Amino acid sequence: MHSKIIKELPDLIKNEVISKEVALKIESYYRFKEENAPNKLFLVFGVFGSLLIGLGLILMLAHNWDQFSRAIKTIFAFLPLVIGQIVVGYSILKKKSRTWKEASGTFLFFAVGASIALVSQIYHLPGDLSSFLLTWIVLCLPVIYLLKSHVLAILHIVFATYFACESGYGYSSSGNSPWLYILMIALILPHYYMLLKQNPKANITSLLNWFIPLSATIVLGAFVETNYSIGFLLYIILFGLFYNIGKIPFFYTQQLRRNGYVIIGSVGTIIILLWTSFTWIWEDLIREVVFFSNEFYIAIALCLGTLAVLGYSYYKKWIKEFHLFQYVFIFFSMLFFFGFSSETIPTILVNVLLFVLGLITIKIGADRFHFGVLNYGLFIITSLVICRFFDTNMSFVIRGLLFVTVGFGFFITNYWMLKKQKQILKK
Amino acid sequence: MKTIHLFILFVLVALIQLFVPAQMIFNQENTLEEGTAYKFRTQPIDPTDPFRGKYITLRYDINAYPTTDSIWEPQQDIFVYLKTDSLGFAKIDQVRKIPLEAETEYIIAKVNVYDKYQDVLRIHLPFDRFYMKETKAKDAEIAHRKAQRDSLPNNTYALVFVKDGASVLENVFINDIPISAYVEK
Repeated sequence: MHSKIIKELPDLIKNEVISKEVALKIESYYRFKEENAPNKLFLVFGVFGSLLIGLGLILMLAHNWDQFSRAIKTIFAFLPLVIGQIVVGYSILKKKSRTWKEASGTFLFFAVGASIALVSQIYHLPGDLSSFLLTWIVLCLPVIYLLKSHVLAILHIVFATYFACESGYGYSSSGNSPWLYILMIALILPHYYMLLKQNPKANITSLLNWFIPLSATIVLGAFVETNYSIGFLLYIILFGLFYNIGKIPFFYTQQLRRNGYVIIGSVGTIIILLWTSFTWIWEDLIREVVFFSNEFYIAIALCLGTLAVLGYSYYKKWIKEFHLFQYVFIFFSMLFFFGFSSETIPTILVNVLLFVLGLITIKIGADRFHFGVLNYGLFIITSLVICRFFDTNMSFVIRGLLFVTVGFGFFITNYWMLKKQKQILKK
Repeated sequence: MKTIHLFILFVLVALIQLFVPAQMIFNQENTLEEGTAYKFRTQPIDPTDPFRGKYITLRYDINAYPTTDSIWEPQQDIFVYLKTDSLGFAKIDQVRKIPLEAETEYIIAKVNVYDKYQDVLRIHLPFDRFYMKETKAKDAEIAHRKAQRDSLPNNTYALVFVKDGASVLENVFINDIPISAYVEK
């Protein structure tokens, strides 16, 4: 980016847009900035190098070299670990650059994994993958804070998610809610908070803005043990929580692509609503649901959390206008608890809700001249129509007409907006 | 925080990182050196662990204990007391919810499930994984099946050292030959 501006300078001088002095000033300003900024490319390569070496090491050790004696294998178990520790210790003591710290930390992370993996391999230690992963991330957790390493924080989240999936979704261990996952994520939050406070606009922060909600979305299902139908309720509340977090001005004023909360919250809500827009889902729900189960209490806890975020947003006067997406979880919860008299009423209400959400999104997109949002709204309505395509007894002609109408809707709204945009530009 | 404090904290963390695998090794070595060896008849099956490599899962012939006591929680810790049969293979002497005073060898295992219909307690013995060289694990499973056909009924056994409830799987044998050597034949 900078070099692009510097390249343009001679042209600007030639056309007398800026004077030579100004051009010189601009050039020296960017050169100075470049010299002082850490080399991002170097950092990325350093981290990826460590990541690949670490993973390669684990794979090589997993081969199981049975021609070596137990003693030699034990030395191999400690060698990478000690090397990693020495390098990390050196970069702390000598106050080395970001690149050093991130790369050495990444290597140490995998060295710890390789070490305990090899020991369990040598002695045929029992214990499934989940307990192994837990030991691994707990041993590396303090290093995140000592090095202030963001890459380690991301690795921690990824491996904590892996752990939770192994212990919660596995066939052999079904019925085990990965409670420790919550603790693992809670322990990383201080680091995340510091990052949000000090570097809200950094790329790494926006990566975490995505990783944390994504991880929670993946893991939440692991807490559903037997009561599968409550899963819908759990997820819609979780997405409601994310959406409301994403609506906090701190996140909402940033670019949309940096705000994983609002995107995951919104798309997730729509997916769950589409799913529950089928009649047969509600027929199953009515048959299956059990109140006062483990899942039920998690749903209540999540709901209270979401209401707290919503209440705080009101208290801080962040919410200035009514935005239906923020309240979908309340509406759905009420349907879930009171809609059990028949399956027809909740099905119709969910369909209406989806339709209204689609229209609202289109309107927001049109008002803000945001083509992405506009088409997202159209997409919601299209999905709704496609879902109905499969399960209603409507005649083919009516279904066909519905599709054609929505198709035209796409053309007309986009065309109308393009035209409006051009008019404004002309003015 | 000052660099030196950070460094001292890191040294502590590094020591813990070293201590955990070292402790794992120490416990195992201690049982191997001082424990009693038992042979458990078993059947190997071959799966993979992404970090620790290929292993064979061992299904033990002694995995059930007849009892009329039906109050057992799944995954509950139990104390399995051992004896040997006339051929020198391990047998369950008794299963207890709390350890006995007597100084006989036992293993801390877990309850799988209580089978109400047959009045037996299904037991999960802790040493169910035997890590092998990646090229050999599948062959081990096949070799066991072949050996089963060729000679006496189940001639595959695991050699396990037992001490104070801890158990370490030392090796797996087919017809008294270590399984990794047997596979090479």
